[in-house]
Amino acid sequence: MKSRFFSRRDFLKTASSISMVTALGGGIPSDLFASEGKLVRFPEKTDLILLTSRPPQLETPKHFFKELITPNEALFVRWHIANIPTSVDLRTWRIKVGGNTERPLELSMDDLKGLPKVTYTAVIQCAGNGRSFFNPRVPGGQWGNGAMGNITWGGVRLKDILAKAGVKGDSVEVAFNGLDSGPLPTIPDLVKSLPVDKALEEDIIIAYEMNGKPLTMLNGFPARLVVPGWYASYWMKALSDVTVLSKPLASFWMDPAYRIPANPCACVPPGTKPDKTVPINRMDTRSLIIEPSQGNRLPVGKEATISGLAFSGGYGIKDVVVSVDGGKTWREAKLGKDLGKYSWILWSLPWKPEQKGKYTLMARATNSIGESQPLDSLWNPSGYMLNTIEKVDVIVG
Amino acid sequence: MKKNIVFAMLVSAGVLLLQYQVPIVQAEETGPVHSITLPTIPAELKEGPGKDKVMTLCAICHSPDYIPMQPPLPAKTWDHEVHKMIKTFGAPISDEDAKIISSYLAAQYGADKK
Ligand code: HEC
Repeated sequence: MKSRFFSRRDFLKTASSISMVTALGGGIPSDLFASEGKLVRFPEKTDLILLTSRPPQLETPKHFFKELITPNEALFVRWHIANIPTSVDLRTWRIKVGGNTERPLELSMDDLKGLPKVTYTAVIQCAGNGRSFFNPRVPGGQWGNGAMGNITWGGVRLKDILAKAGVKGDSVEVAFNGLDSGPLPTIPDLVKSLPVDKALEEDIIIAYEMNGKPLTMLNGFPARLVVPGWYASYWMKALSDVTVLSKPLASFWMDPAYRIPANPCACVPPGTKPDKTVPINRMDTRSLIIEPSQGNRLPVGKEATISGLAFSGGYGIKDVVVSVDGGKTWREAKLGKDLGKYSWILWSLPWKPEQKGKYTLMARATNSIGESQPLDSLWNPSGYMLNTIEKVDVIVG
Repeated sequence: MKKNIVFAMLVSAGVLLLQYQVPIVQAEETGPVHSITLPTIPAELKEGPGKDKVMTLCAICHSPDYIPMQPPLPAKTWDHEVHKMIKTFGAPISDEDAKIISSYLAAQYGADKK
């Protein structure tokens, strides 16, 4: 089972590993978007797939993934603890910056808007996106693939704010808290932290705009952290406190929650526990086939288009290759408009099936530093970081 | 063209186009105060002994739809979940009630049930 420990960022190219995967039955079930359940409508949102209502966990339906930019009303929603902000008064709301700093700060929305504004497009993706495709299944939010979106964020650099506060030399982490709280005091508050060097990176922002509009309440109004390239668990919504720490944060939501096995594949043999874990961090590379869908019927001899999207953890997409014969041969897809290294990119490939039969479509993306996707599904006990090469079966004729 | 695709998707998802055209629910905007009202969506759980306990004790901190959302889980995993709620999150549930709840979960949402 050595191949399980290949990095999830590598593509298993060898013929032997491919046949092994086939022999195992190929890991993930077929339609990566099939689990579309009950649709519900929450304030400022369109019809989304209901996972839970309190706190709200809502998934984006598949058809929105044909678009380069996800509309605000369609972006997924994921809160952890049930007392979520439903009313915010901008006259009194402040972000408090403090802890191990030269001086404490209190920033209003006007203060934020007075600082230099940064705008870029970045994928936001839940760490558990695709959890329902793990085999064996694991408890947790049973997301299909709709816990992701591509949004143009506008806000101010965290680094600029930390510079104003003056981070002391012996600082190790920066912690983030939001306006949400648990309905019982025994529920650990949702507090997350980043290593101080990470927090001071150029591209991390406190965003007060999504796609040119104020954030929707359910996506973190009035402002949230954006850590482009990293999983959304760090993108604290309804941000209220930024605390510089001289000791690592002790928080349930950093440890034991949101941890991955401390090895290159972030995986362990199915059903087992890792000996050592690290906090989840940068996203792996993914490509998703949006059209056609699992089980679709296509006519013989007529040109169809295979299309989808691809993204990585902050290194753009170098290429996407597509197979229509279950991985035996691959062709390069045409990439759409490039909105930068944190954005997803749409891709497409024309395909004219000449013969009747069942075809297995697959897509594999590689980012600019060579990170790609595994053929074998990589398992971990919390169901994080799914990025197996997806298979979509279609029938021609 | 694009409309057709959306329509096809909606039909395949079993949704009426009509429903889709209803405008999104707007937030209540009163000057600098931004407010929303969350809808109430009742959770539907399977009938069985112990359901009443689950509907009250497992609804203290979150909606009980956390339960039917899960895949079929082994009885051992359900029992572990119940004890996680008690130990990690401080669920005020007695040992006796925990047993009743675990049996309900294993019977109704278990992986090892025939
Ligand atoms: C004291 C508060 C509390 C009570 C009472 C409670 N839970 Fe939870 N439960 C939580 C919290 C907090 C989470 C994590 C929520 C999240 O991350 O979305 C959670 C998550 C879950 C999950 C998702 C899987 C996981 O482990 O995160 C399941 C399933 C669940 N609860 C079942 C139950 C059941 C069954 C009961 C009744 C025995 C129950 N809960 C009672 C607080 C509670």
